[in-house]
Amino acid sequence: MKVKTLKTLRYATMLVFVLAVIRQITGASDLTSVGTASAALLLSVPIFLAGLGGLFSERAGVVNIGLEGMMIMGAWAGGMIGYKHGPWLGLVAAVIFGGLGALLHAIATITFGVDHVVSGVAINIIAAGLVRYLSTILYKSGSWLGPSQSPDAQSISTNGLPVLSGGKYFGWKSPDFLNYVAEKHWFFISDAAAILRGITGDLSYVTVVAVILIPLSLFILWKTSFGLRLRSAGEAPIAAESLGVNVYLMKYAGVLISGALAGLGGGFLALVAANHYQENQVAGRGYIGLAALLFGNYRPGGILLGAGLFGFADALQLRDSASVHALILLIVFVLSVLVVRDLRKKNFKKAALTMVFAALSLWYFLAVKELPGQLVTMTPYIATLLIMSLASQRLRMPAADGIPYRRGGLR
Amino acid sequence: MSVAVELRHISKRFPGVIANKDVSMSVETGTVHALVGENGAGKSTVMKILYGMQRPDGGEILVNGKSVHFKNPNDAIDASIGMVHQHFMLADNFTVLENIILGSEPKRGITIDFAAARKKVVEMAAQYGLDIDPDILVEELGVGARQRVEILKVLYRGARILIFDEPTAVLVPQEVDDLFNALEGLRAEGMAIIFISHKLDEVLRVADDVTVVRAGSTVAEVKSKDVTARQLAELMVGSELPQPTTHGDTRRPEITLALKDVSIPTKSGSRDLISHITFNLHAGEVVGIAGVEGNGQAELVEAIMGLRDYTGDIEFSGTNINELNVAHRRDLGIGLIPEDRQRQAMMMESPLWENRILGHQRGKPVMRGFVLDKKTTIADTRAIMAEFDVRAPGPTTLAAALSGGNQQKFIVGREMSKAPSLLVASHPTRGVDVGAQGAIWEELRRAREKGMAILLISADLEELIGMSDRLLVMLRGTITLEITDSTKTTPEQLGSAMTGAE
Repeated sequence: MKVKTLKTLRYATMLVFVLAVIRQITGASDLTSVGTASAALLLSVPIFLAGLGGLFSERAGVVNIGLEGMMIMGAWAGGMIGYKHGPWLGLVAAVIFGGLGALLHAIATITFGVDHVVSGVAINIIAAGLVRYLSTILYKSGSWLGPSQSPDAQSISTNGLPVLSGGKYFGWKSPDFLNYVAEKHWFFISDAAAILRGITGDLSYVTVVAVILIPLSLFILWKTSFGLRLRSAGEAPIAAESLGVNVYLMKYAGVLISGALAGLGGGFLALVAANHYQENQVAGRGYIGLAALLFGNYRPGGILLGAGLFGFADALQLRDSASVHALILLIVFVLSVLVVRDLRKKNFKKAALTMVFAALSLWYFLAVKELPGQLVTMTPYIATLLIMSLASQRLRMPAADGIPYRRGGLR
Repeated sequence: MSVAVELRHISKRFPGVIANKDVSMSVETGTVHALVGENGAGKSTVMKILYGMQRPDGGEILVNGKSVHFKNPNDAIDASIGMVHQHFMLADNFTVLENIILGSEPKRGITIDFAAARKKVVEMAAQYGLDIDPDILVEELGVGARQRVEILKVLYRGARILIFDEPTAVLVPQEVDDLFNALEGLRAEGMAIIFISHKLDEVLRVADDVTVVRAGSTVAEVKSKDVTARQLAELMVGSELPQPTTHGDTRRPEITLALKDVSIPTKSGSRDLISHITFNLHAGEVVGIAGVEGNGQAELVEAIMGLRDYTGDIEFSGTNINELNVAHRRDLGIGLIPEDRQRQAMMMESPLWENRILGHQRGKPVMRGFVLDKKTTIADTRAIMAEFDVRAPGPTTLAAALSGGNQQKFIVGREMSKAPSLLVASHPTRGVDVGAQGAIWEELRRAREKGMAILLISADLEELIGMSDRLLVMLRGTITLEITDSTKTTPEQLGSAMTGAE
């Protein structure tokens, strides 16, 4: 575990260094600014929560395309309860509503053996229609201002790490050391400080909860007997049944946890990333969460990385399109690393192909001074696609994932 | 010694079939007790009842002298009964340790106590001589090691009565020896072991007592040292063993199949897969193709059926069929029993009546004009099942639910239903039980007498010699020897001809 932590730290340092170099070359100062890092975190959390939800469901052997719909239900419930009863109760409602969507998915797939993808797609469609319908009723009754938006809710307070990144503790205002360093514009040191300040300062408490969920999930899934049984339902349900594991119960638990987390992700979008529910707020984040799950190879840490990459790309395109141009240079760099790796493995065909892509990207970077707006908006999606195609080679999904299970498979 | 398990007059019926009529057996501690019987005799059902997977309709189960009623496998596990399944019940992506403790994890607080579990597993493995690394992923293990994991799984749960369901079916000989050594160790520890099998030589090697079931009833309980494999086999079948024989000469003058100089060249230009094959097959005659597998028999069948391009000529009843495709050849009256029934002859996940259609999809009784005549097909399937003694609940049963012998009888019935004038039978009795084997031989005999020409390919030399009128030995794609009177050869002589030894 310690070796792994050190390795992760080393890779992170290398990445920040590369980003600093690219910032220096291109002058795209937003690449490593406090604002970008902070926005990237804010945009990552809902995707991470969706992906983590998917993890619990798929580890129990139920494919959950319905994450999107569960997020929509969570976001709506968050907005609806949030403006009346405060944001925390709003989040609780989001969790419950996400769970309700999941219950529907669980009943359909586990009890009635409906194809998982069919049920999931149905839930996405139903959720979108249902919340629109309910919103319209609330609008007609006069409590909402429009059929596509809830009134504003209070925002959830934020805080930072003491001493390092500001914040307030029992009335004491902490200094903001990292921000101080970040503003010095020292090469690499200020870049690292800015990124750290971005992801540790002005944190919503909900974000902290999301981060705590990583070790918690690892613990539950790999250290407790509940986790072992839940995973056995996704790997070899018939074997599990033969050993007295209640496979149905495990699958229900997995799907319900999944919906609760996706709902929390939706609530986060409505109450933390914004301060009201709005139609189309989720905008495919459930699907991207699923992509992050695949990218992370069905592990919590990997999901965080996948969600983080998407969040970073999204933050960059929202804040400063010039920086997106600089991102192409980063792609060139990453591809070059892959070329070296492939050459070492003597995989010449793949190396040549990757080299062509790297050369094309470099040419594009040099030839185009500013990216067209449409392309900028697409950046996070392109990044997802690219990452998926690079990552999908070593994928190891649960062996019985998506296969309908019937009790009595032993007979 | 005391009695560990006693079954008294167990009966169990399923919709349409009676699986167990009256099964009794009594297993003593510290012994290996074999349960033998043909496929479909009810061995597996009675063991599933003992393991709590199914409930008996009648009868009584006593464990250590006490009457028990199991609702599910957990109850059986609590009564110290463990099952080593034929198809391993393991999660590939879990470690050996995780697989073993799943469902009864030792806990420390809210976490699993992996350290204690590992210690216990390592100790058990050493005690019973079941060598295994607890931290390796199961997917990296071979078949023998996986079986050791299965055994450890049941021992870990404190089983004293172990059921092995056809444990040697998946093992290579060396692994079988290892397994038998392990069984020896378990017996010495005072376990009661129930060993289900239909491989009689293995049964006699490992078992102390043998219970024979036939058609759902116990027919004998004997000491293994008092019987021979042949006696056991006859007890299993309930009569003398069927013999692969034919009577008299039913050969007719007309030639049904004629091959002239048939070759299949390879694209790479190396040795032909089959080379210059020439022979005639008369109506009412059985010609056997002998040869070690992979010497061109499969290719020969494919050429005759039109599944492969060839050079030379194939004539059927006097007409050249070189230009005809598979469907047209079948329409002319060529039937095929393929060598691999599960891959080439059946759709395992489809009901029998749909399997009835295969190869007959172009005419009656399956089709009525352009539409499928489901009703007639089902009725016809039922007729085939009755005539060929296919034991299954009905035409809507999935093919996968049938035993190998019943599957094969169904395939034979399907091909015979069209009364082909030529039947290409590739390993028609491979992997089927004695009863089905006898039934299939009887069908071939009857067809021969009616004038069907049969090309028989088999690895069972007694079957080849007994059923064939004439034998052709294939070696490296060519016919190296013709034996015109098959009664004048022995399996030993044929065997040496097949390997090319003089």
